[in-house]
Amino acid sequence: MSDSTLVSVENLHFSRAGRPIFSGVDLEIPKGRITAIMGPSGTGKTTLLKLIAGQLTPDSGSVHVGEDNVHRLSRQALFRMRRRMGMLFQSGALFSDLSVFENVAFPIRVHTDLPEHMIRDLVLIKLQAVGLRGARDLMPAELSGGMTRRVALARAIALDPDLIMYDEPFVGQDPISMGVLVTLIRRLNSAFNMTAIVVSHDIKETLSIADHVYVIADGRVMASGSPASLREAQDPRVSQFIQGKPDGPVPFHYPSKNFYEDILAPSEVS
Amino acid sequence: MSPLIFLGRKTLNTLESLGRSAIFLAQALCHLPRLEGARLWLRQMYFVGVMSLPIIAVSGLFIGMVIALQGYLVLSGFGADEALGQMVALSLLRELAPVVTALLFAGRAGSALTAEIGLMKATEQLSSMEMIGVDPLRRVISPRLWAGFLSMPILTVFFSVIGIAGGYLVGVDWLGVDQGSFWGNMQGSVIFMDDVVNGMLKSVVFGVVVTWIAVFQGYDLVPTSEGISRATTRTVVFGSLAVLGLDFILTALMFGEF
Repeated sequence: MSDSTLVSVENLHFSRAGRPIFSGVDLEIPKGRITAIMGPSGTGKTTLLKLIAGQLTPDSGSVHVGEDNVHRLSRQALFRMRRRMGMLFQSGALFSDLSVFENVAFPIRVHTDLPEHMIRDLVLIKLQAVGLRGARDLMPAELSGGMTRRVALARAIALDPDLIMYDEPFVGQDPISMGVLVTLIRRLNSAFNMTAIVVSHDIKETLSIADHVYVIADGRVMASGSPASLREAQDPRVSQFIQGKPDGPVPFHYPSKNFYEDILAPSEVS
Repeated sequence: MSPLIFLGRKTLNTLESLGRSAIFLAQALCHLPRLEGARLWLRQMYFVGVMSLPIIAVSGLFIGMVIALQGYLVLSGFGADEALGQMVALSLLRELAPVVTALLFAGRAGSALTAEIGLMKATEQLSSMEMIGVDPLRRVISPRLWAGFLSMPILTVFFSVIGIAGGYLVGVDWLGVDQGSFWGNMQGSVIFMDDVVNGMLKSVVFGVVVTWIAVFQGYDLVPTSEGISRATTRTVVFGSLAVLGLDFILTALMFGEF
């Protein structure tokens, strides 16, 4: 692994309930850059993030974060490594018994000995960044889906991690919030040299901020390159996905028998 | 699938689950309640222990009253109604207080623990805690385990005391058994080591087993609404059966004359 690489995934194989998800994935996440991981639904993009974070164990292959081989670390060492990571979950995953303020303060409280006034300042700075300073006293149940994810983002960046993983950060955001989030992700990367992995279906927004893109399908890396090179890719599967065309080699429908035969077949309901 | 394959798979799954739960308990028990975790532990003591007190107190009172009533009917037939205090105390201390407390605990606190931890898993709160670099076994599981372990014997003491008070109400105040005989016979027949300590030992064992089952079922469930429902049911069923089965074994070991 070169010095400019923060995360290195080599020959990764992973299956769930006997169904192969990854069959030999290789990819490298460069330091201080924004890398997007894209692909059709169900290709295991979130699973890949969980494998990088050590929350899942691969069947074979390796994941290195810095010098650490993630799946060979002891439980304690794994938790130490995760302090250098932030992850924005698709659902937000806020602690339901803590207020917005306390959710963002949580990682600061458990990993530092900062005095209360400094914790307050740090939390308010992070909440200001996501536009929710005024919502500090609300409970998670009182937030909309988009607000929940913005609070979760403030919590994920609370300790200024080296690596931050965004799982569908733009889902459920209104156009104003979406624009702010895109700018925020870009600014976190450029101002703090934070390495970012973005898993998203929002092609326009993701390609506008990514430095490098991996497209995953059928358990492998189907294409990789800069956003510009992917926009001009000749591979019909890549161009279908990037341009969002319904017709192409990637089927919209789950595999099934012919529609007309199915409709005209004798009823299966007795 | 042939019955043999089905049986084999079921057995392997059960053994695997038992193994996972043993590793889970060992890992969670490594995290003793520490000073900085005292607040979390006290909070759980409140939810698991203090919040269970009303149901324990009311049940203890009624059970003590029923034993006194039934006991009086039998004992007075032999002219031995003075032994009522002894009967009430021994029934409660040896058997009913630890067993009924554990059954009620499995139904109230156990099911709540499973549902709470399960919901935290289903909403990815446990995953996000892991990603923040905080071990959920230390932060979520350990305080709940220790709170359950400690709450059960304390609740059992409350059950016994309130049960004896209920027996006194019915026996002495209502049915007219002599107050001096009631207390005197009780004091004369209850042996501290044999009856009180053995009863408390039972409650400690039940506390460990029921809380272990409850938190493991929550931690290990399939994170869906159906998964939470099944796990909650399993906590009550497995917890109750374990209490009744272990009660027989412990009674045989403590009081059996082999």
